[in-house]
Amino acid sequence: MQIDESRAVKAALIATSFLFLGLVLILPLASVFTEAFRRGAEPFFAALIERDALSAIYLTLFVAAIAVPANLVFGLVASWAIAKFEFPGKSFLVTLIDLPFSVSPVISGLVYILLFGSYGLFGPWLIENGIQIVFAVPGIVLATIFVTFPFVARQLIPLMEQQGTGDEEAALSLGASGFQTFRKVTLPNVKWALLYGVLLCNARAMGEFGAVSVISGHIRGKTNTMPLHVEILYNEYNFVAAFAVASLLAFLALVTLVLKSLLEWRYGGELAASGRH
Amino acid sequence: MPRAGATNSRHDRDEARTRRAPVRIDVEELGKSYGDFAALDNISLTVRPGELLALLGPSGSGKTTLLRAIAGLTATEEGTIRFDGEDATSLSLRERRVGFVFQQYALFRHMTVFDNVAFGLRVRPRDERPRPGEIARRVRRLLELVQLQGLETRFPSQISGGQRQRVALARALAIEPTVLLLDEPFGALDAKVRKELRRWLRELHTETGLTTIFVTHDQEEALELADRVVIMRAGRIEQIGTPAEIYDEPATPYVCEFLGGVARFDCTAKDGEAEILGGLFPVGNGDGDYSGPALAYVRAHEIAVVSREQAEGVPALIRAVRPFGPAITVELSIEGHHDRIEVSVPRELHDGGEIAVGQGVFVRATSARIFPKD
Amino acid sequence: MTVLSLPKRSPSVLPGFGLTMGLTLTWLSLIILIPLAGVFIKSAGLGWDAFLALATDARTVAALKLSFGAALAAAAINAVFGLLVAWVLVRYDFPGRRIVDAAIDLPFALPTAVAGLALTALYAPNGWIGSLIEPLGLKIAYTSAGVVVALVFIGLPFVVRTVQPVLADFDKELEEAAATLGATRFQTISRIVFPALMPPLLTGFALAFARGVGEYGSIIFIAGNIPYRSEIAPLLIVIRLEEFNYAGATAIAAVMLVISFALLLVINLLQAWNRRRIGFTG
Repeated sequence: MQIDESRAVKAALIATSFLFLGLVLILPLASVFTEAFRRGAEPFFAALIERDALSAIYLTLFVAAIAVPANLVFGLVASWAIAKFEFPGKSFLVTLIDLPFSVSPVISGLVYILLFGSYGLFGPWLIENGIQIVFAVPGIVLATIFVTFPFVARQLIPLMEQQGTGDEEAALSLGASGFQTFRKVTLPNVKWALLYGVLLCNARAMGEFGAVSVISGHIRGKTNTMPLHVEILYNEYNFVAAFAVASLLAFLALVTLVLKSLLEWRYGGELAASGRH
Repeated sequence: MPRAGATNSRHDRDEARTRRAPVRIDVEELGKSYGDFAALDNISLTVRPGELLALLGPSGSGKTTLLRAIAGLTATEEGTIRFDGEDATSLSLRERRVGFVFQQYALFRHMTVFDNVAFGLRVRPRDERPRPGEIARRVRRLLELVQLQGLETRFPSQISGGQRQRVALARALAIEPTVLLLDEPFGALDAKVRKELRRWLRELHTETGLTTIFVTHDQEEALELADRVVIMRAGRIEQIGTPAEIYDEPATPYVCEFLGGVARFDCTAKDGEAEILGGLFPVGNGDGDYSGPALAYVRAHEIAVVSREQAEGVPALIRAVRPFGPAITVELSIEGHHDRIEVSVPRELHDGGEIAVGQGVFVRATSARIFPKD
Repeated sequence: MTVLSLPKRSPSVLPGFGLTMGLTLTWLSLIILIPLAGVFIKSAGLGWDAFLALATDARTVAALKLSFGAALAAAAINAVFGLLVAWVLVRYDFPGRRIVDAAIDLPFALPTAVAGLALTALYAPNGWIGSLIEPLGLKIAYTSAGVVVALVFIGLPFVVRTVQPVLADFDKELEEAAATLGATRFQTISRIVFPALMPPLLTGFALAFARGVGEYGSIIFIAGNIPYRSEIAPLLIVIRLEEFNYAGATAIAAVMLVISFALLLVINLLQAWNRRRIGFTG
């Protein structure tokens, strides 16, 4: 190409990008792992198998195991209604689904305290019936569902809109039932985008901090997720342990990135409409 | 509007600059490859000053690559390109000053029609840049030339395809180009607009007198519009000639088939002649005494339907009749020949009832082009 | 208890609209809309004067100023470098390009607490970077500059990922056209390429800004959280909650939500503009 920038300009721009990305992205990531292994492997593993750490890992997995399937089902249901039918107010509805992206995680936790806390709208009724949501696992699950709410739906809606309704109409005309059509035609068409959405949803669910921090009450061994456990350890100046747990989360993030990139490289075309967020 | 002296003389000077002598382009042994694929293979070509030249070929034949190489948009590995004898290979795009019209027009969508046309004048170095009033005057004159007065403030998305095409042309002309290059100028337009614009481009060429090259894959467009046609195939030039030369004396079987409307026959040549459909024709290319297998190409209007009594031709069976237009087109099958052939016959023959599906007739070639088969 | 009634739809042969739309609206209302409405109901219950007093409390104002100011600064930094990174990733080929491309999403994937921890370790006076800049008299960790650093990390992918696809789709012929018309490379980029990138760049800027305003996890470790100086608004909400000052927490939340929704509206308008710009080809 005759009209490109000169080699020197290119090299300078690439070098500047590398420098910036190295400073902003790579160095922090590297520091997590170096800090975690600062005193060698033994304290690192000790921090991970300690009782409170294990219960935090367990709770994180438990919360994700509820929140992710819930949003998976919601994502499928919502994208069917939104992408396969025409109705007024569609884009407004999509904006509402995206709303949690614009809300501070702290507020995402706060809203449930205002509803279910002891001074909240339903607080007295809940106390009377002996149900605890705030400062307990149900609250953590709710807050996690709130912050991960749009992840699956926003992957599926643009893709399903782009695919249109032709395949489904053909299946129905061949005698398939509505549910058969969904299972055998629609679902295979969006499976990679679905997986992609679930992957991102899961990463956020396991890593959520602000919302969960507000609503959990930080009860050690009971309502501590991994990110909260990291904070507690850090505040106790137990840096190696804090970074050990953090490195586990960072490792999870790396696995997510690798899987996400593999999906993009392998099935880029089938994810194309989703805008890659 | 004629206006007072000063403006007028300035106007004339301007006119004179646009109308400087047209440029001659020499392409010498040009080569360009992408990996193993030779996009341009040793191309040599002279474009005469003021000529309207068509580069004709199917996609992948290298015609667009050649056009882009002449414009300086694609770098070539071998050969030189000269504008009026001056080596242009080392010139920057700015110095070459070619007016290039892209197939999809490449209009700047965030600029109005006016700003699009003015762009080339506004990006000139400060000391060469005309004053804003002068730019406005020139842009308006160009829009008049392309018959788009009144659309100055529209955006490209607000005008039709044909109008976009003309904006692209006006924009290319605004820089007072040395040559005008058009890539598939009518490719993105529907049939009716194509016809209109074709005539109009011819007139515009006469008016500007610029050396102009356009790329097309439509043989009718090339033959109708150009002074000379270059037929390309796989990065090489197959034939150069005027439309009449190309049509009457196609140089190769490839040219015959690319121009279309021909029936192809296998035949055998003896001492530089071959018999086809009852006629005896010389083998082309001056291959005076060629004997051996040959290919014959006969156009639809070069086959005469003769009555049974005359019987000097070859028997054929009428398979279909398309009874409209100035001449009737008849589809025939001939014994020993696999494809059906198309023949035009005068209306009277049809109206006389001699032409009907299922009827047997005799046909005879009045002219044919014979090539040795290799 | 759905907030919206079922919308009317145009006829379709596909089944399940009523069911899926009903479920969507119910779930959306229960999880998102009603809880969010709670913030405004609670604020309204305070009365206007009490609300205003809480919202204009000096510490609250300082925290809001920091959250918005730092988010603005970080979004601006990301607009510049995000554009550069997107340009390099789309236009140039270099070894490791795909890995760099994949790494851009790290801030999306990395839990914010981990990011906060890592940045603190780097920028603390004894950290890798902190120890380098301390002799120069610069301090990032435990100041408002630390907030900006955390938000640059958080916001980077928003800018890169909105600019990248538009740049990749940008018709190279437009640049060629400008060049044949005599434009220099600088003129081509500033007058032809840059205007086309403005809508996505602004969108990415707004997205990074909106995210930055509400960010909590990555900041609280590095900011030092000194009231009036490096205390962000979301943290102040948490502090008020810990003091059982629900009215104070709600008031700050209401202010932030209103501004966030206004930002969301702006982002939607920007994206509509974006689509219109891309819409026409040729």
